[in-house]
Amino acid sequence: MDARELVDYAASLDCIHCGLCLNTCPTYLLTGVESSSPRGRIHLMRSVAEDELQADADYAEELDFCLLCRHCESVCPSGVRFGALMEHARSALEPVRERGPLARLARRAGFDLVLRDRSALRAAATVGRVAQRLGLVRLAARIGGQRARGLADAPAIPPAAERARLPERTPAAGTRRSTALLLEGCVMPELLGATNRATLRVLAACGFEVHVAREHVCCGSLHAHNGEASGARALARETLEACDARSDEGGTPLPLVVNSAGCGSHLKELAPAFAGQPDLERRARALSARTLDLSEALTRGPGAEGLAALLARVPTPARSVRAAWDDPCHLLHGQHIAREPRAILGRIPGLELVPMELAESCCGSAGIYSLLRPADARRVLEPKLAALAASGAEILVTANPGCQLQWAAGVRRAGLAVRVLHLAEVLDEFVVSVARPATAS
Amino acid sequence: MDARVVEELRAVLGRDGVLAERARRTPYEADGLAFARCLPELVLLPRDTRETAAALRVLAAHGIPVVPRGAGTGLSGGATPVEGGVVIGTARMRRILALDADNRLARVQAGVVNADLGRAAARHGLFYAPDPSSQKACTIGGNVGENSSGPHGFRHGSTTRHVLGLVLVTPEGDVLDLSRPEHDPHGYDLVGLFVGSEGLLGIATEITVALLPLPPLVETMLALFRDLDSACDAVSDLVAARLEPTAIEVLDQLTIEAVEASVLAAGYPKDAAAVLLLESEGSEAEVASTLGAIEPLLRARGAFEVRRARDELERARLWAGRKGAYGAMGRVAPDLYVCDAVVPRTRLAEIVRVTIAICQARGLRVANVFHAGDGNLHPNIPYDRRDAGQLARVLEAGDAILDAVLAVGGSLTGEHGVGLEKIGAMGRAFSPDDLDAQCRVRDAWDPARRMNPGKLLPVHACRETHTRDPRGGAR
Repeated sequence: MDARELVDYAASLDCIHCGLCLNTCPTYLLTGVESSSPRGRIHLMRSVAEDELQADADYAEELDFCLLCRHCESVCPSGVRFGALMEHARSALEPVRERGPLARLARRAGFDLVLRDRSALRAAATVGRVAQRLGLVRLAARIGGQRARGLADAPAIPPAAERARLPERTPAAGTRRSTALLLEGCVMPELLGATNRATLRVLAACGFEVHVAREHVCCGSLHAHNGEASGARALARETLEACDARSDEGGTPLPLVVNSAGCGSHLKELAPAFAGQPDLERRARALSARTLDLSEALTRGPGAEGLAALLARVPTPARSVRAAWDDPCHLLHGQHIAREPRAILGRIPGLELVPMELAESCCGSAGIYSLLRPADARRVLEPKLAALAASGAEILVTANPGCQLQWAAGVRRAGLAVRVLHLAEVLDEFVVSVARPATAS
Repeated sequence: MDARVVEELRAVLGRDGVLAERARRTPYEADGLAFARCLPELVLLPRDTRETAAALRVLAAHGIPVVPRGAGTGLSGGATPVEGGVVIGTARMRRILALDADNRLARVQAGVVNADLGRAAARHGLFYAPDPSSQKACTIGGNVGENSSGPHGFRHGSTTRHVLGLVLVTPEGDVLDLSRPEHDPHGYDLVGLFVGSEGLLGIATEITVALLPLPPLVETMLALFRDLDSACDAVSDLVAARLEPTAIEVLDQLTIEAVEASVLAAGYPKDAAAVLLLESEGSEAEVASTLGAIEPLLRARGAFEVRRARDELERARLWAGRKGAYGAMGRVAPDLYVCDAVVPRTRLAEIVRVTIAICQARGLRVANVFHAGDGNLHPNIPYDRRDAGQLARVLEAGDAILDAVLAVGGSLTGEHGVGLEKIGAMGRAFSPDDLDAQCRVRDAWDPARRMNPGKLLPVHACRETHTRDPRGGAR
């Protein structure tokens, strides 16, 4: 294979190695090792493309070690699109890299089977729950040694009753202000059904008629982040078909509301997956343009009006609760959304938004990173756990399923008396469920 | 590298402290002087003074050359590795050891990032004055090595003025504690000698620095000019009029275009050929009087608009844009050659014109963004190191600029150091006797000449032979 094809060489030249990214990079801050920094990783990619360096196991390890949090992009004066560079480098390396037979099998099962098929996801969740209940997972983790340690850190799979799917269509509570399609997600229904249902109630309470594309499985963001470009392309195609098939009475495609920052970020950058296919590229760009994070859907247009009307019906509670917002990387660095969630939280009666240091840096969840590299994921979270404790917050609010699970596990380990909630769950608990009934108008 | 040496080093630094794999060493092959490259045999990352000393003892025993490195943001090749040598990086020495707000000082490990120290000091109402543009990445240890400055050097001076004490490790691995509570040292001022010694005398591992009280008021002013000459002449006037803002920066149009296209877009006007960025700090009366006196001078030189930053947010953005200018130039070309020279401030416009002519004559673009108040020029020449012909022209332009600067009584470096980059010009700036005297100082510290060899002092001056362009050129 031509070394040039292993990386996006032209994009690697955008880096002028000024180093302003170093201090944002979680893996550089952990190790102090240049090759574990964005500048260093780009140096490696360029060296591979220029045949100065073999794409060896050490190179692969530095690619794997990256959390793909894209914090570096937010500070890069040269405009390096590091996330895209890394996705490209991982995908190009995947076919030629060495993996053990078990690791290869697990990858293929995960990316080609489970994440591609709703019934396989359900089956995996059921098997996983049984195994967790019987203690088999802990056993496997112990037997499997280093590489299986992630199993023990895997989130507890809720009982089947909590893993119910969302309905195809949910009417707005009260006046219908708008109609939206909600991305149900692949693992969300299995692991965080409660968050999905809270999102649904919040949207409905804010006047959205909510549709769900029940035949749709996965947007492909996990594939794209983990070097599975062809799987990502196939899923992007399925996502386009599912979303383009939903439109309002006037024939306008429904806006797509997303409660997972990782998926939202991916869906907003979908077009490159269809390079060279102008029609699909156009459709992808159109879908990106109508993809909204939940916080965006509730701070603009009819959603903002709906939320304002709802908030007006919330009585001020006697005691207020301190909450800290932690920016999910793919919300802040992937979608440049920082104001909206803070604005929403700041308006909830009885919720005091307290600042938390390091809110803009990665929590270590990073998609499936916390499963693949549990020890590194824990080390990345450590300083943020200290920042959370110092903030005095009683609730940690995030807006990404992976972050939610990572924080919950971290808070449990550290023994902090902090609840970890999704923005949707906060709104559901502190707004929707306590709002006075709307007076008929 | 001899496996036995690697094992000895691992024994003192641990496995994580010794990078031997090629992929892990590769990114250390260059610093900000991108075209000069050399793969180090090993990269060592000690965590404290003790580990640094132990590592240097092993290296001394085996006669291995050593190149110290902070964050690799240096622009003169000070951290470019040398053939057969190792790099000692300070990236795992990031602890602020003490911050004594009452005595207004901090003791930090060498790898503490300049901006991190600034943030810590700010919590106590203090600040650390030297503010190189790379301050979000560069380290205090690197600042000591290069005697770094920054925009606010105009008022506050460079690093040497703010270093109170050092703990350093000699080339043989002995620890020398030069931190003292009193400001005036007994005997020779060895701290003063060490600051700016570019890694030739040893490695500083702990640094005690002075912190200053944050001023009650800071105001930032922008003055827009239709040509670069007028902006430079305005600076000459300000300096002659003995006005004392804290910073006087010039940014030209190409720089502004790059910054405004980036995430650091700060609202710099795109229609001005040159912008003066000025800052004044102090009491309300001081700031008002300084900026009030400056404005008419600027207008007299043709400033068509003079305005002040509305609030702290805009102020911060203007500075972030200025300080990210180097990185923003990545939008113009993959590499950037930043000249660094100081000229008499009465001759700013003239020399800036000369530098532009030198670049244009060689078919090179040039952006000027510099610490005008100090007379510290930074002609920025974008280039692509893969183009050997272009690189040769860039180096030629750099030499010609230095000649022009020396001809008017200027100096070779304002803050970036001599490193590899300007070593060829040392013979033009100093007599053989001068250089010989400097070599004897070096030999008193490092008789084996293992510390950062080939930097700062030309080897021929040290009665050695050199066979190739010390800058290495394109590989």
